[in-house]
Amino acid sequence: MTKRTYLLFALAFSCLVANAQTLFDNEITIPAGYAPTTVVMPPSPLSMQILFIGGVDMVQSTPTYGNPAGEEVAKEWHDFIGITPDASGQSQGWVTVNHEMIYASNKLGDGGGMTSFKIARKADGTLEVLNQTLNDGRTGKFFNVDFVNTTGETGMNCGGINSIVDGRIWTAEEWFQNRNLDIFNGGNGVRDTSDFTVTNSDIPGMNGRVLKKYQNFNYMTEIDPKQAKAIRKQYNWGRQGFEGGVIAPDNRIVYLGPDDVPGFFGMFVANTPGDFTKGTLFAYKHDKAGWKWVPIWEPGLLLDHNNLATSKGATMFNRIEWVAINPDDNFIYFTETGLDNPVNAWADNAAAGGVFHPATIARAQANGWAGPTDPNYRDYYGRIWKYDPRTAELSVYLEGGPVFADSPTEANYPSKHLSNPDGLNVIKIDGRPFLAIQEDLNGTSRGRVPAGVTNRTCEMFLLDLSIQNPTVNDLIRLTAVPAGAEVTGVVQTPDGKSLLINSQHPSTSNPFPYNHSLTFAIHGLDQIDYARLGNRSQDLDPEMAKNDENAPFSVYPNPVTRVVFMNKTTDVALYDANGKRVLVQRNTNQLDVSSLPTRHLLPEKCRWRNFEAFCAISNS
Amino acid sequence: MNKKTLTISALLACFFLAVGFKENEAALALQKTTKQFHTDLNLTAVAIANMKAAIVRLDGSTASELAVQEAVTNARMAYKKSEFLIAYLDGFAVKKNINGAPLPSVDPAIPDVMVIEPCGLQVLDEMAFSEAPTDEKAAMLSRCDKLIQDFKDVAQHQSRLPLEHRHVMEAIRQQLVRTFTLGVTGFDTPGSVNAIPEAKAAFEGMYAAFRHYMPLLEQKDRGLAIVLDARMEHTLKYLTENDDFDSFDRLAFLMEHIEPQYQLFYEVHKSLSIEFAEEVDKTPRAVNYHAVSLFAPDFLNAGYYANLDRKHPLMEKRRELGLTLFFDPILSKNIDRSCASCHHPEKAFTDGLPKPLAAGGKHSLLRNSPTLVNCVFADQYFWDLRESRLDRQMLHVIKSEEEFDTNYPEIIAKLNQSSEYKQLFAAAYPEQPDYQVSTYSISDALSAYVASLTDFDSPFDQYVQGKTGVLDPAAHRGFNLFMGKAACGTCHFAPAFNGTVPPTYDESESEVLGITLTADTLNPSLDSDLGRYANGMPRSKAEFYKTSFKTVTVRNAELTSPYMHNGAFKTLEEVVDFYNRGGGAGLKLDVPYQTLPFDELKLTKAEQADLVAFMKALTGDMSKFKSPKHLPKVDNQPEWNNRKVGGKDYQG
Repeated sequence: MTKRTYLLFALAFSCLVANAQTLFDNEITIPAGYAPTTVVMPPSPLSMQILFIGGVDMVQSTPTYGNPAGEEVAKEWHDFIGITPDASGQSQGWVTVNHEMIYASNKLGDGGGMTSFKIARKADGTLEVLNQTLNDGRTGKFFNVDFVNTTGETGMNCGGINSIVDGRIWTAEEWFQNRNLDIFNGGNGVRDTSDFTVTNSDIPGMNGRVLKKYQNFNYMTEIDPKQAKAIRKQYNWGRQGFEGGVIAPDNRIVYLGPDDVPGFFGMFVANTPGDFTKGTLFAYKHDKAGWKWVPIWEPGLLLDHNNLATSKGATMFNRIEWVAINPDDNFIYFTETGLDNPVNAWADNAAAGGVFHPATIARAQANGWAGPTDPNYRDYYGRIWKYDPRTAELSVYLEGGPVFADSPTEANYPSKHLSNPDGLNVIKIDGRPFLAIQEDLNGTSRGRVPAGVTNRTCEMFLLDLSIQNPTVNDLIRLTAVPAGAEVTGVVQTPDGKSLLINSQHPSTSNPFPYNHSLTFAIHGLDQIDYARLGNRSQDLDPEMAKNDENAPFSVYPNPVTRVVFMNKTTDVALYDANGKRVLVQRNTNQLDVSSLPTRHLLPEKCRWRNFEAFCAISNS
Repeated sequence: MNKKTLTISALLACFFLAVGFKENEAALALQKTTKQFHTDLNLTAVAIANMKAAIVRLDGSTASELAVQEAVTNARMAYKKSEFLIAYLDGFAVKKNINGAPLPSVDPAIPDVMVIEPCGLQVLDEMAFSEAPTDEKAAMLSRCDKLIQDFKDVAQHQSRLPLEHRHVMEAIRQQLVRTFTLGVTGFDTPGSVNAIPEAKAAFEGMYAAFRHYMPLLEQKDRGLAIVLDARMEHTLKYLTENDDFDSFDRLAFLMEHIEPQYQLFYEVHKSLSIEFAEEVDKTPRAVNYHAVSLFAPDFLNAGYYANLDRKHPLMEKRRELGLTLFFDPILSKNIDRSCASCHHPEKAFTDGLPKPLAAGGKHSLLRNSPTLVNCVFADQYFWDLRESRLDRQMLHVIKSEEEFDTNYPEIIAKLNQSSEYKQLFAAAYPEQPDYQVSTYSISDALSAYVASLTDFDSPFDQYVQGKTGVLDPAAHRGFNLFMGKAACGTCHFAPAFNGTVPPTYDESESEVLGITLTADTLNPSLDSDLGRYANGMPRSKAEFYKTSFKTVTVRNAELTSPYMHNGAFKTLEEVVDFYNRGGGAGLKLDVPYQTLPFDELKLTKAEQADLVAFMKALTGDMSKFKSPKHLPKVDNQPEWNNRKVGGKDYQG
């Protein structure tokens, strides 16, 4: 067969299957004289490194509950990661990791917790965890953040705040309980439920106040990452089921996200930059004339934040999770992760004055529901909101889903699906800002996982913030996370070269340590150029990427780092050196080959069945 | 190139490809199946709407109540036709909204108790066939309104999803498992007991879908097509002729219908060159799709539950190390207790006591020592379901002051004093030099061992697997009762006969039985252990989890006396008697959230004996589980080297 015949052949075939389901032979025969053009797969510029393994690595503890200082196995369930840059420039700085759990521990303290460690860049490009000796005499690599002897215990440390101004760190306590019995939790939670007397607090009016123990939970709590101890609970930001927040560049404004139904987008304005002990708390109210924020802070402790915000007619959200800021333009983004059926949880608040954003109402009505309190109201996928600090306008930046009003054609069926976005941060690639979005699924129904899959598979995506009106098709999937785990905490090292990521409660048969809660780094971020990123494939080879049905079937780029693109949407199969089928993808124009063992990518022998030559080889 | 040229070359391609390959045939089959699925979704929506109309007309008259029963049955039958695809594509929504158990549950999305009231077709089945359906009119209407919306949601999503060949094949095989475990057992027809006709509807639905593939199969493998065609007809005929719930021979149905088709549809999948799930994504699954029998030893994937790659080249070394650790009292503070202290291999890894003795031997632990054989097949461990990971399960024992009373740093320090142990760890975990003797390796090795404690080789298994043609007739009758009239199989799901829910087997259930303090049914009093409610997990703090306990396997029950979380029942006869009387509520005790039916099962003495005979046919050969010959020496602690295999009081 001549090369020309083959071209025709391949073209026709790919057109035929573009709208039809193809059966793939289990084994293929390779025609004699077949001359493949090869696509070389160079080693990825990205590499992974494990930094900290929950439940396995040892942390240094302070004297706790009468027990001496010592060493203990670290807590697990990693969530938020903070980085506090080293002003001296001698290291990357201090990393703090939240433990989203409630767990009684004689040495680490009851409830949730945090671990702190210091990292430096080595000559080979990897990171090392440095040995440190803290002021309290503790020596080692990993340090348990002391809450017990400072602010009192915390519970289920989920998200937090990492100031873009100076790297200050706050940890958020999500687990909202209203009885001591519940925080005691049968002896598994916080065992000392005697009244808590606030001491050493610089928040006006708090010193000497006696709180029921449970009332000392659910605040943003600032910690000192360098000395691994807590500083203060921000009683003046209200008692809420906090998840995330950001500090604005003026070092006065704090934006706050509580994971609750209803959750109220919050703002605290400090009287003096950098001093968050005095100031005013607000809740967002989209329909307020003029400046769209209502003050809800009254002198004294704000234990009943949600009812007060409701009574002031603040705007209600369905579980706000992380809040992020784009340092280039100061726009604020936050995830509203959703709860499938929030109606019972916010109907009373709606009756008592809480309001819904027009976008929330419009979404309800577009689905044929009277509004967000219609018994049929559902919110399966959640979304990302964008806040303009100049105008105080809030709008939906990216709606989860998609939900289709009509059946899309197969070629238009999305290969990506955004469900229940949770973790959110802004990172820079090639100097450009991207949102790093991390899912935490509320369920597996309605397309949140692929058809037929029943366990939760959370994904992490990048989204180019230069896109004005993005859709899920603009998301760039990053798959470097253990299957089945929740990925969260994404943050970039000060030198821009690495991302730090947490993997939480993995439930799969990954090899150690990927079966544990762990903090890992992805290196090589500085070597990615903007044009080579996922969806921006058209920048790679504009001619080939036209998806012109008359163009010959072709694959690109060459070389490929992770994803192979095709110029047509079709069904494809990849065969290994023995002619055995190893990968099948339906209705796609791209193929992630990064997970394939190199032995599947030998030259000459593997190719698309009947397609114009394609061969992925690894030269690593 | 213009359009015309393209057509010509397309024809050329067809000509070239025609040899042994029919693209259009395949595409056509899928198109037809998809179209039929969309039609069936609409028919179900219509049937649900008709059901609402009938409920609205409920007025206390017999005619109106019969009309509701008929409408509910019609809706269920309509649903059953496409259940295989609806439930395969979105099992979560089906369980939560469409056809879940008529019991309250909690929302899994948040770490708190948010109660989801029971809803869906099962609930309506129960209400419509209650004594006075009109009394339930308001409740039925609200449930039906919710179902209309929920089904609309599911149908909207599913009718826009591009179906694939793989989905059709996997859905059919999954439906065979579902129909056998949840369908013909009466699990989802609590009121009407219309289980057998519904099973027939389910088969009709999936056969109709599959028939579109027959022309293609005939070209690929004519023999297979002929055999399957005959089988399908045979099954529909069988279900038509044998539609009585109580007398339905479930073992015959399993052997002659479910098992052969489970294998045949696998062959079809392979023969049609349709990709398998693992070629598409790497998501681990609890069911091993390549197993061709529900009772094959590898039908359930132990590695999935234990987070282990059981094909890892070092797995055998890790398992061996775990075996040694399991029997080594060095893991306990005083070097006197091992895992084997409460888990004796010859008793299927139980200890024969109502509750094991606590450290020091002064009093008992809280709960009965459960069997470890097949315990891996669960997504949560312990009687109260407090731990979701097998490799973390031992941490609870290590920490407990009444058990090992120690911690990992102490254990690691002790093991590091043994060159022999260090060698064993180095050989089993060479790729992790920093973590050779660590929390990870210790718990991983113990997991590897416990995950290996499986048995699907009892006389009953051997019969189903075709290794032997003989089964005690009492066990045969007992199996049919277990899966039918006695309603055991609706909680103790085949094939592990535990609470891991089919057909995806990825969730463990617990039940409220109203367990009594003793086996005395004349003067019964309730056991006060709160069970799951008090397991420390925020989502468990729901009233209906009070006194709820894990549904453990009945395999090897002959060896694991005494029974229940408190060891109150000494014999299987006592256990069967307790269930026959309707559990605690049946004994007139106050058990508001009992999940066991509290009316009597009305089993005769002979039937009760048959049930026991069936359970005894599930006893495997425990002699295959050996204890280690010796324990590793510790270098500078001569007194530790006197420790016995299994610990101080172990009689292995």
